[in-house]
Amino acid sequence: MKLWPALLALLIAGAPPSPAGSWRAALVLAGGDLPFGLRIEQSGDGWRGELCNGRRCNPFSSVRVAGDSVTLELADYAATIRARLTPDSLTGVYQNVGNRGPRTIPFRAGRGRWPVTPAPQRLLGSWDATYFSDFGDSPRVFELRNGSAGLEGTIISNTGDYGHFAGQVRGDSFALAHFDGSFVYLLTGALHGDTLRGVFHAGLRSQTPWIAVRSTGTRHLKAPTEVTRADTTQPFRFAFRDLDGRLVTERDPRFRGKVVMVDVFGTWCPTCHDAAPDLVRLYRKYHARGLEIVGLAYEVSGDTAVDARLVRRYRDKFAIPFPLLLAGINDTEAAAATLPQLQGFTSFPTTIFLGRDGRVRLVHAGYLGPATGAQHGKQIEAFEREVERLLDDAKVGAGS
Amino acid sequence: MTIRWTGRTARLATGLLLLPAALWSQGIPADLAEERASFSQWLATDPVSPRNAIARREVDTGLLLGPDSGDIPLPGVPEQRVTERDGRVLLQGPDGERVLPRGRPTSLAAFTLLADGAPGRTVLTVFQARGGGKAAFYPYNPSLVFEGTLAPAYPATKQRVLGVDGIEADAVEAGTVSVPVGGGSARLRVLRVRTPGTDESELTIFFRDGSNSAGTYPAGRFVELVPIGAGRYRLDFNRARNPYCAYNSVYPCPAPWRGNTIAAPVRAGEQYLGGGLDAPGAGGDGR
Repeated sequence: MKLWPALLALLIAGAPPSPAGSWRAALVLAGGDLPFGLRIEQSGDGWRGELCNGRRCNPFSSVRVAGDSVTLELADYAATIRARLTPDSLTGVYQNVGNRGPRTIPFRAGRGRWPVTPAPQRLLGSWDATYFSDFGDSPRVFELRNGSAGLEGTIISNTGDYGHFAGQVRGDSFALAHFDGSFVYLLTGALHGDTLRGVFHAGLRSQTPWIAVRSTGTRHLKAPTEVTRADTTQPFRFAFRDLDGRLVTERDPRFRGKVVMVDVFGTWCPTCHDAAPDLVRLYRKYHARGLEIVGLAYEVSGDTAVDARLVRRYRDKFAIPFPLLLAGINDTEAAAATLPQLQGFTSFPTTIFLGRDGRVRLVHAGYLGPATGAQHGKQIEAFEREVERLLDDAKVGAGS
Repeated sequence: MTIRWTGRTARLATGLLLLPAALWSQGIPADLAEERASFSQWLATDPVSPRNAIARREVDTGLLLGPDSGDIPLPGVPEQRVTERDGRVLLQGPDGERVLPRGRPTSLAAFTLLADGAPGRTVLTVFQARGGGKAAFYPYNPSLVFEGTLAPAYPATKQRVLGVDGIEADAVEAGTVSVPVGGGSARLRVLRVRTPGTDESELTIFFRDGSNSAGTYPAGRFVELVPIGAGRYRLDFNRARNPYCAYNSVYPCPAPWRGNTIAAPVRAGEQYLGGGLDAPGAGGDGR
């Protein structure tokens, strides 16, 4: 009998550690660590997990654990984190595969969560930034605020925002990260007097210095309604199949004589996910007064069955009541070719507002999602104003 | 101005605690081992691996695919025409017209098409799965890892260079580094090369050395200069890799960069197993 405790101890000592729990993870970029969170838990006989930027989490498509080997997969991005597990650490690499071969970035994690570090007031708010690259300077806007996980915010360019960033603060210095399996972004900076200075890291090695001053309210970026132009002399035309294979065009009775919003989106596009619930709310609010919305999906595979499955999942996730059509693949050029009445199409999502005569009234490139804070609210108000204006115009037109 | 670079082994004595365990043990870093394994696998199996390329042409005024008399004969494929219009690459055939998205593989019968490069300078590559060998590498050599500073280039002239995949990319002269290899000091030019379609760019060195034609690819190899903070950079010759022309003569080889020749052999990084474009041995300089 005395043998049993010893045998049990031996068994426990030899058992592989469990990956379950929260992890403080980081990609080890050339210019510093990109912090993010991991959560792994047992699910039936298997495992599941999430990748988190602050409080925003997305599930891994699969989590495999074999002995001390842990593999976390993000199938949408052909991305994998492979790590060796010890009781207190995960050490390995993140990889995703593009046409020029695999990209490999060192990865490591320790048990626990990143500390919540609110930023001092002097760091918060809107900042007009300029990126200095050997290839030319370009404008950005930083939106920084304190959230439930500490400092968070986003970066906005002429074609929309870069998604949700979350990170760490030490004094007047900060590191904000966005890692979703495909995009690897790290914004590091510090306050010097009334100027922010820092480096934007993209991928393993790319580093772009920047300087930012507090936004004064004058426009620093190109207006989103000035990015893409449209032919307004003819009704806007589209003809694509819906998820059941039926051809849907602008001439269908459901669109005739209505104010129509055409949402050019992709299920792979995080900003489109930000816009979807707002479009659903708009539809529910204004549909009875004559608003229709149609989504044109530009998807990853180009395989109708695969793409339809992705779009159905997107439709169900957001309970989208308006039609979603399979329009093509997620390439701005290819998408532009299917919408020849647009010039300068550069951005997913792009929202096209049509008057009751079917002609384009406004094209809005990009979308300022919840990561942009107050600007998100202003974006919704602007969309509502435009819909109201078009509905009112339509009334005048119908009565005259 | 002479820039003093130090081998990383020299830093070990003073910086032990700052270095990862793999380095401390002088073994290959885990990420490099993974990078090599996954690249090797990709090279051997991926549909758009350079080993599977069978033809590569500039689209220019248009390409005829299919017939024996066409620009790119493809057995069993009815006549197709590839053109570039307003920056878009179009494939026209019996089934109508479709867009070939830049940088995205598109299937055509038993073949895969890949349009790449900047608008107006588009290149079409055709692939056919036939399998191929994996990559081969020298054993990890920690004495060929260097850290130091970069002497900036004045003026930072812009130019176009062929990247590792034989595609022309925008580049800017970034500066020079001087590296103590083989008892001498080699001064190497560094260009910042933009990665098309991304926010990313790389500090790139295309160099030749004494091992060319004697274990490594005759035309030279690429290696990246990695910023490590505080104005310092790391140059790890264990990460040197071949241009695609080393795997397949379908790809053009970059002309050697003026001055970027190391007299001593750099036996680190990727080896050459034959199969690519024949190139003259090290010694002569191009542009």
